[in-house]
Amino acid sequence: MNKEIEKLLFNPIRLKTISFLMTVETCTFKALLDVTASSKGNLSIQIKKLNEAGLVKIEKYFQKSYPTTDYSITEKGKTSFEDFFNQLQSLKNE
Amino acid sequence: MNKEEQINIINEAIKQTKTNLKPMGYNLIFWSVVVISMSLFHYFFPQIVQYSYYSSTIYWVSIPLLGMIYTTYYNIKSGIKIGYETQLDRVIRIIWGVFGLAWIFTVGISLLYKMNPVQDILFLLAIVLIMTGLIVKFHNITIGGIGLLIFTVYTYYNPGLNLLLVNVIGISFGMLIPGLSLYFHKSDNFPLHYYKDE
Repeated sequence: MNKEIEKLLFNPIRLKTISFLMTVETCTFKALLDVTASSKGNLSIQIKKLNEAGLVKIEKYFQKSYPTTDYSITEKGKTSFEDFFNQLQSLKNE
Repeated sequence: MNKEEQINIINEAIKQTKTNLKPMGYNLIFWSVVVISMSLFHYFFPQIVQYSYYSSTIYWVSIPLLGMIYTTYYNIKSGIKIGYETQLDRVIRIIWGVFGLAWIFTVGISLLYKMNPVQDILFLLAIVLIMTGLIVKFHNITIGGIGLLIFTVYTYYNPGLNLLLVNVIGISFGMLIPGLSLYFHKSDNFPLHYYKDE
């Protein structure tokens, strides 16, 4: 397993975020707050780390003059998560 | 955090992803009411709708176009409220978007060739309803679509039928009743299971 990804996903908020993003096309910050049940500040920091690792894409735009942010998983994020999940399952079955 | 806990976190996060089908139920009801009301009004007051050569065309094009604008606005608004879009939501959105374009195309062609588009539109609608029902695994919509398809085929072999009443009957059984059953379904959230629970 990629040690960097393993270390990154060891944090439960980052793991919840990436797991949720695997099942959706895009989502808002509020939806991620509901899923992770964390504070705004903490979630922002964790998303930033996932974004810096290239696992999460952040898109900022204006909707009716209001700044909006959409979050989605990148291709790298998908393959990394799948590898991570398969590895977890195989380790669990051992 | 051990491996077991990590798998549990993943499963819990995935379980929270649900496709909310209530807006789709609302869309089906809205369009059923619009089409049935328009058909009945046209049937009982032909002197108003067919006042001039173009009046019925304007009647049958302008009101559905306004409906399309309203439902697009409603769907965007409900999407923002839910906060996320699943792959299933996207597929359904594309299918109904294609139906909207096909409707415009069919109406345009029928105007050019002076044909009545009712049966063609009902046929398209039946196909889209069957597809939607199968995708979201909601049997009432699939059955409604199949019923509408059989009814539409029947109307092709019975050209003497009043197409306004065909509209009313077809839409009532094919779209309104399934739409109501979807809207008032106890669980409006359909969970997606990408990974089996351990």
